[in-house]
Amino acid sequence: MSGNAALRFAPGDRVRIIDLGKPGHVRTPTYAREKVGIIDRYCGEFENPEERAYGRVGRERIPLYRVRLMQCDLWPDYQGGSADTLVLEIYHHWLRPA
Amino acid sequence: MVERLITDIGGLPAGAVPREEVAQLFWEKHMMAMFNVLRDKGVLNLDEFRRAVEAMPADAYRRSSFYGRRLDAIADLLVEKGLIDRRELAARTDEIVRAGTRDHVR
Repeated sequence: MSGNAALRFAPGDRVRIIDLGKPGHVRTPTYAREKVGIIDRYCGEFENPEERAYGRVGRERIPLYRVRLMQCDLWPDYQGGSADTLVLEIYHHWLRPA
Repeated sequence: MVERLITDIGGLPAGAVPREEVAQLFWEKHMMAMFNVLRDKGVLNLDEFRRAVEAMPADAYRRSSFYGRRLDAIADLLVEKGLIDRRELAARTDEIVRAGTRDHVR
């Protein structure tokens, strides 16, 4: 956990979900990339699915967060309420302070 | 630009979502049980399964079903790990199909 420890997020922090442009199995949906949201909660540390997908198990555990995004930020033609949100679970390395 | 995964469809046009319940066939239940055993024994993991599904050719992915894709992904992973042989699997599948199956079609 050494490399990431300095960059912990707390509930309420504004974060940008970045686009790592990483091939292979990733779990950050395209529609959420380059969007800004708020940390909802810290979910704990888990092995990186991007490693586990290729059989590399038992490696470093990385922080996972729930990130709350405004629906109207995600979808330009969103017809629902202006306060509607969507919560996504995003791994630490896909997040930057915003 | 990395190509979008076939499972990464959020926001793309998709038409209406069918809402009716679909009964599970016997092989589908059997296959899910097999998947759970393989996962619990550490032979494969959920992320590998997702990666194997995403590696399917797009037309094969679309022609298949939730359970069909899972079955193919299990077979692909077991072949990849050297636990089964693709020719052996094909021969055994032919044998079962020749013998007649209970419910492999809806």
